[in-house]
Amino acid sequence: MLILGFCLAIAATFFFGYRAGRTARHFRHQQESIQPWMSVPFIAHTHHTRPEPLFLAIHVPPDPHDHRPIREIAHAEKVPVSEMIGELRKAIQTATPPGKGP
Amino acid sequence: MLDQLLAALTRYGSPALFVVVAIAAVGVPVPVTLLLIVTGSLAAQGSIGLWPAIAIASAGSITGDQIGFAVGRWGGKRLVTKFSRLLGDAEHIKKLDARAKSWGGAGVFFSRWLVTPLGPWINVASGAADYSWFRFTLWDFLGESFGAALFIWLGHVFSDRVQQVGAIFGDLGWAILAVLVAGFLGWNLFHTKQKHE
Repeated sequence: MLILGFCLAIAATFFFGYRAGRTARHFRHQQESIQPWMSVPFIAHTHHTRPEPLFLAIHVPPDPHDHRPIREIAHAEKVPVSEMIGELRKAIQTATPPGKGP
Repeated sequence: MLDQLLAALTRYGSPALFVVVAIAAVGVPVPVTLLLIVTGSLAAQGSIGLWPAIAIASAGSITGDQIGFAVGRWGGKRLVTKFSRLLGDAEHIKKLDARAKSWGGAGVFFSRWLVTPLGPWINVASGAADYSWFRFTLWDFLGESFGAALFIWLGHVFSDRVQQVGAIFGDLGWAILAVLVAGFLGWNLFHTKQKHE
């Protein structure tokens, strides 16, 4: 039982260590994904763009103090969250000049 | 649940931060490292002050830790007495208790920010083991303040990479815990083998 636990602990060390190392290696090149908990100003900040075009893309009046998560906005607008995330992605691509992406 | 907690943090700021870190400290499995990193990002965006965020996160965590300690002190003793009989005779239990107390300060400090999954257990264990409340609170304060400052500062610096920084530190925390478990089991294996020889 001790040997099994020891082997599992060693395996877990390598697993989590490898995963942390892999994430760290791709740190600079990986783009932050858009999650339903994020607000529009939060998404704009993580993608180095202004929030106004993102608000307009999802048909919401621009307000930098609007910290509602996009899930809540999608619910209010009666639009699926995945569709809203797609609209935001398109707006980010349009708003971010080529080569200036995160 | 993580989504709801992060959404509450993004929307309500400080009050949500206090509640979330407190319930995490009590023992509800919440990736508090990621929450603190997101708080740092919110501070970089100007939604919340950096120093108030560190103070609120520390206060919330310490409140939760104190609840865990109180549960161990007044509720966990019977359970500990029951289980301690399984560990051996009175002399052996005394030795284990003394060893636990000598490592108490470091254990409390490092479980606040380095091996966070152990934190809630150490709170209850410290209370049940009659560890000094003053010492517990002192190490708790130092550990929680350091942890909150470290992760919120990381979120502030890497404010556009919160999920990746959270994933790296989350995995590192589990890797360190696995190393500690492997070390403990390896040490036990070594001693068991020596006894047999």
